[in-house]
Amino acid sequence: MRLLEHESKRILEKYRIALPAGRLVGPGEPLAIDGPVMLKAQIPIGGRGKAGGILAAEDAEEARQKVALLLQSNLRGYIPKSVYMEEKKAVKQEFFLGVTYDTVAKAPVAIFSAAGGVDIEELAQREPALVRREHFTVGSRLPVHRAREIVADAGISGKLLLGLSPVLSTLAEIFLDYDATVAEINPLGLMEDGRLVALDCHLEIDDDAVSRHADIAALEKDTGRVEGERRTTDFEREAAGIDSLDHRGVAGRVIEFDGNLGLIIGGGGASLTAFDAIRSHGGRPANYCEIGGNPSVLKVRELTRLILSKPGVDKIAVIMNVVSNTRVDLVARGIVKGILECGRSPAETVAVFRVPGAWEEEGFKILSKYGIPIQGRTVSIDEAAKIAATKAN
Amino acid sequence: MSSTSEFIRVDVNMNTCVGITQCGGCVRVCPVGIFQKNGDAPAVVAKNEDECILCELCLQACKPRAITIKKLYET
Repeated sequence: MRLLEHESKRILEKYRIALPAGRLVGPGEPLAIDGPVMLKAQIPIGGRGKAGGILAAEDAEEARQKVALLLQSNLRGYIPKSVYMEEKKAVKQEFFLGVTYDTVAKAPVAIFSAAGGVDIEELAQREPALVRREHFTVGSRLPVHRAREIVADAGISGKLLLGLSPVLSTLAEIFLDYDATVAEINPLGLMEDGRLVALDCHLEIDDDAVSRHADIAALEKDTGRVEGERRTTDFEREAAGIDSLDHRGVAGRVIEFDGNLGLIIGGGGASLTAFDAIRSHGGRPANYCEIGGNPSVLKVRELTRLILSKPGVDKIAVIMNVVSNTRVDLVARGIVKGILECGRSPAETVAVFRVPGAWEEEGFKILSKYGIPIQGRTVSIDEAAKIAATKAN
Repeated sequence: MSSTSEFIRVDVNMNTCVGITQCGGCVRVCPVGIFQKNGDAPAVVAKNEDECILCELCLQACKPRAITIKKLYET
């Protein structure tokens, strides 16, 4: 979950990282300002400046006009619901501070550059020497003395070194405390008076950890904070509700499409493979979804019922990778029961059932009883997708 | 939501069952909540029967061997 800038900055504030004076401005709010301000559209994307989402204003009237303009703008698919207005200050130098997780090294990594305010990935490719990266462990965290080594390696010394190091160390604290996947201050500005101020901040929280943080969970539930061009549909909301029926497995990460073939797919990335394969064979999916982790019969049943309730959907394809952590028989029970409760015939409704893996013998007995053809592991996902697409068209 | 079991039928022979006070193993061990207390007797929760994962822990925990599990899809 990507936090908006002002949400991220409230967290920085909590950890005593200095910020410019600023406040959130909604539609039609009166603006009283003392000097030049920056107006920043609150949307969850990077590169807002290039997209026209950050504007400067010199006085209240200009600020009012530009806030109104931003609130009507479509910025790469997002229409801002609010604008963050900050004092505009002269900056002597900008720095990049970031912490993310290195999936190759399987460790958190702190990133620092004295050339801030730029696209760090582009800079790392163009001039790798300017970007300093250092892994650390969750256990030892990133104490200030280690942060100081990283900053010093980038050629910073003196008072600036002493000022930057605690900010990088604190950012790592935030990263770990909040189960973040990305924590970035870009840029951290060195002001004329020598203060270091976080001018922009990007925090992304691991979706699976949101429930561990009451403040973030509350933001996630606030459906009014971001308005994208594409809104979550009622169908997708119902599916999310099904997934939260109990704690067992996943059955309900659904995205709605306008096709006629319902999909119940999953298994270690196989959802994307199956979805793409069905499309490449001319199938028209009614939805994308992910099931896995051994969901309860109840969740699979309710998901099946939901997908079959979609107008125009009369066939479903059940495709998973070879699964060791999801029981084939429990998936089969959920699918068959959901179909029966919709008053339909399992044999006619299931276009393909290709879920090989744990307890497949029991699963195949269930399929046999209801006349559903069995596709074992010798049938590839691509072949299963072709069968489904052919039957649905 | 329907409460009819389609795949699994769990029965407790009340003539043999010695009750929760003396045993209660089924209620204690079932990981998917198929049994619940009904006074001193165990009762099968019909809406959960199809959640049975066939672990057979209840069969092992039942001292008087009063429980039977039937796979309806095998008949």
